[in-house]
Amino acid sequence: MQQREEKQLEASVDSLISRVAHLKNALNNFIYKLENEFERLAWPSVLDNFALVSGQLNTINKLLRNEKTPSFRNQVIIPLELSPDRDDELAKLTEQRVPVFSHEIVPDHLRTKPDPEVEEMEKQLSAEAARLGPEAAQKQIQTLNKLCSNLLEKLNNPREDRDPESSAIRQSKPSFNPADTLALVGAVAFGKGLSKCRPPGPGAPGQGPMMGGGPTLQQVTIGGASGQPGKMPSSIKTNIKSASGSMHPYNR
Amino acid sequence: MEAPPVSVMPVTGGSINMMEYLLQGSVLDQALESLLHRLRGLCDNMEPETFTDHELVYLLKGQQGNPFILRARHSLSHPAAPWHLRYLGQPEVGDKSRHALVRNCLDVSASHSLPDVLNEMGFRMDHEFVANGHVFRRGALKVVVSKLSRVLVPGNTENTERLSLSYLVDLSVLAPAGQDTVSEDMRSFAEQLKPLVHLEKIDPSKQRH
Repeated sequence: MQQREEKQLEASVDSLISRVAHLKNALNNFIYKLENEFERLAWPSVLDNFALVSGQLNTINKLLRNEKTPSFRNQVIIPLELSPDRDDELAKLTEQRVPVFSHEIVPDHLRTKPDPEVEEMEKQLSAEAARLGPEAAQKQIQTLNKLCSNLLEKLNNPREDRDPESSAIRQSKPSFNPADTLALVGAVAFGKGLSKCRPPGPGAPGQGPMMGGGPTLQQVTIGGASGQPGKMPSSIKTNIKSASGSMHPYNR
Repeated sequence: MEAPPVSVMPVTGGSINMMEYLLQGSVLDQALESLLHRLRGLCDNMEPETFTDHELVYLLKGQQGNPFILRARHSLSHPAAPWHLRYLGQPEVGDKSRHALVRNCLDVSASHSLPDVLNEMGFRMDHEFVANGHVFRRGALKVVVSKLSRVLVPGNTENTERLSLSYLVDLSVLAPAGQDTVSEDMRSFAEQLKPLVHLEKIDPSKQRH
């Protein structure tokens, strides 16, 4: 029985040591990064490091809670021999952090109770908690729970009515006007608005002869919209012929 | 010794039938800066080109009723540059799924006597306007953001009045006939300009008042 327990103890202590070593490495890397590469560090990578450390702490916790792990509380560590001399073996084991197993390091390393300051704070808190009646305590617990659940809900479900607000803001600043598009295209394509039929004022007198041109162009575009590209060249030929026949006074 | 028989035939062709694919939209003055910014990012990295052009549209009225339209354009910011004459055909009535307006397009350069030549040929100027703005390119795509102004006194381009409070945005590609992948590229580019501008196929023949 005792041997099995001893073996279990040893095994769990070993695995605990290895897990703690991983955690130490992760913390080391993180500290190095923070101290030396802080200019290039981005928040996501800092978060990654925190996540890693928290994951490792979780594994340690699971290990401790494991049924196979014997309760470490039942074990007591008693220093059998203290000496102010440097102990090389110990130094090697602890990577030069504990060179001497003396009276100074014992209270820190073999402590089982929390620090004195922490003990004071805990005593105060437990005194306050005892003062608070059970109903008041219940009410406070309930309010805390309600606040937490509200916050979680807000974080988990982005509210739908937040979106209509942003889309309304976007719509109130349109960057183009479709009516303007049509007006401009009409102007470029067949002179809608440019044709001298609609003089803006000063250009009125010189536009009588041009009035014939405007409506003709528009009417004919209606008729010609059926897409007959072949008709165009023939109309040139005829017109030039007629022009040369009637307009030029000289004959070749 | 007889001269070898020579047959005389008219020279036809020699130039590819070019089509212009067009998408148009407009943007209000207050959104112009953000549009230019976005275009500067999306388009080829070059100094943004500004232009000030004066365009005259000439009509030749035929007996059949369909007037023949030619567009003559010259730069007001580069007065020594040659004039540019353009013919645009009727929009092709293809399948409705085609995303851009497609029409036959012919471009030639001309000398400064172009208006006189056209007048002598029988063309009459129908309307004119001044356009100034910016040109951007992305591969074969050309984006023109222009402010149109009405010429108040014919021939006097100093005295102009803005047509509207918006800038016209044209996305065009000149390509040989038959390339339908062009309109797909144009549509994906137009998607990138939403919601600032909605570039769409606007059939001018459906726009008469």
